[in-house]
Amino acid sequence: MNFKNILQQIEKADPEVYERLSGRRQILKSFGSKVAVAALPLAIGSMFKKAYGRTTDVVVDALNFALELEYLEFAFYHTANNTGNLIPAADQPGFLTIEAHEQAHVNFLTTTITAMGGTPFVPKHFTDSTTRGSFVPAAYDFTGGGAYNNVFNDYPTFLILAEVFEDTGVRAYGGQMSVFSGNALLVQAQQIATVEARHAAHVRLIRRNAGASELPAPWITNNIPPTTATQANYLGEDVTTQGVGAISIDITTITDGTGTVPKSAATAAFDEPLDSGTVTTLVSPFLKP
Amino acid sequence: MNAPEDIQVKEPGYDVSRRRFFQLAGGVAGAGIFLASCKGSKPTDTYIGTEDFALLNFLYILQQLEAAFYTQAVATPELSITKDELLLLTDVRDQEIAHAGFLKTLLGRSAIPAIAPNFSSVTFVDRTSVYTFAAMLEDLSVSGIISACTYFENQAYALEFAKMATVEARHSAYFRDSLTYNSFADGTVIDSNGLDMVATSPRTVLATAENYIFTHFDSSKLPG
Repeated sequence: MNFKNILQQIEKADPEVYERLSGRRQILKSFGSKVAVAALPLAIGSMFKKAYGRTTDVVVDALNFALELEYLEFAFYHTANNTGNLIPAADQPGFLTIEAHEQAHVNFLTTTITAMGGTPFVPKHFTDSTTRGSFVPAAYDFTGGGAYNNVFNDYPTFLILAEVFEDTGVRAYGGQMSVFSGNALLVQAQQIATVEARHAAHVRLIRRNAGASELPAPWITNNIPPTTATQANYLGEDVTTQGVGAISIDITTITDGTGTVPKSAATAAFDEPLDSGTVTTLVSPFLKP
Repeated sequence: MNAPEDIQVKEPGYDVSRRRFFQLAGGVAGAGIFLASCKGSKPTDTYIGTEDFALLNFLYILQQLEAAFYTQAVATPELSITKDELLLLTDVRDQEIAHAGFLKTLLGRSAIPAIAPNFSSVTFVDRTSVYTFAAMLEDLSVSGIISACTYFENQAYALEFAKMATVEARHSAYFRDSLTYNSFADGTVIDSNGLDMVATSPRTVLATAENYIFTHFDSSKLPG
């Protein structure tokens, strides 16, 4: 098999093939061990499939999953920002910023999915197709089926849900990263996840300064939730072992000059992903049937 | 019928674009140009390696820089710091030590030695100086992690470090809010699509970090 000739043929069809392949240096790495000649076509096929990313459907599904969450958050903040006597004046600019970001995320994801040839998610009870990307309050029950009846009357309750939505959003994006791996969208998914993390940090700081009983840090410490009712959103955040492949370490064994890294910091230093099934379960109380 | 031949294809050890160049340029001329491209680095520079190890050392440099900065900031706190702020600052210090230690573990024998940071531009007794620098370092770390992820040969690294990128963003939001309340995600760091502004290349991020490091690095093989 004339491998060099194959590459030249592919280069004629796709002049950017070397950038696509060498960008992740997949080329020939897949053949690091002995490869039977008969298996080469399959191996080459998988090499190029890796270079060109996963099938579009899986990626679109992941983007649509993110889009569902962004619609929810946008509706949540838009409602809050338009509810009189809820948010104190000093905090209003911050929540307007957050709302604007969520709307931008809805628009960005919708555009991206459309550009990929996919059908963008729209919330239930969405009635006007010309205003795709807008506020759809009819799709949501932010009282969570009655668990948070005061969500838009009581600022601390609103803040609890804001914190939970943002923290869960960060973890949900984390859980989708493997789908975007090898794709330019990996960068953009992270660029959205870090913004949700900023939102979460800001809300947590508000709650800390307001004297919330568990004194939240801007980051997730152990698996401590804002309320016991929201513990499920924080399960798995108390891991202290981190690793890649065969290498792992208990973070609490790392020395910090005076001693070792405490468990609180070891757990806070990494935001743990949640799979889409878990996120769906956590979010479902807030979706109207 | 002949049995299928086994072939062994060696890893080229350098990326494809350079391999093509050698095919075109011919052996001797290619070797000459290859040697010339090494002119920029000195033998005394700390070599950060190639491919994934170069990226890991790049991230290790950033985390070391943060750990060193917060260690100093906690040891000699800014004069108006509150007890609660010092608690959170100490927490951030420990998280960055955790990040740095984690990267050192992943690198094993390929880890570079401890860097020599240069904090001459920081006035540690001054709140604005300390928090501005902290926010800058955190934003730089977010940028560094996200820019590195596409270049990892082993994408498992990218997935793991995504868990750190969001934590650095939380740190950034905290320090920004501490300086100017409600600036946690303002127009200086978020674009019109609501995306965190990040550099596209690890090289760009490293060049910025090097302003605050005395150690010279040979990063000639750093991807991107």
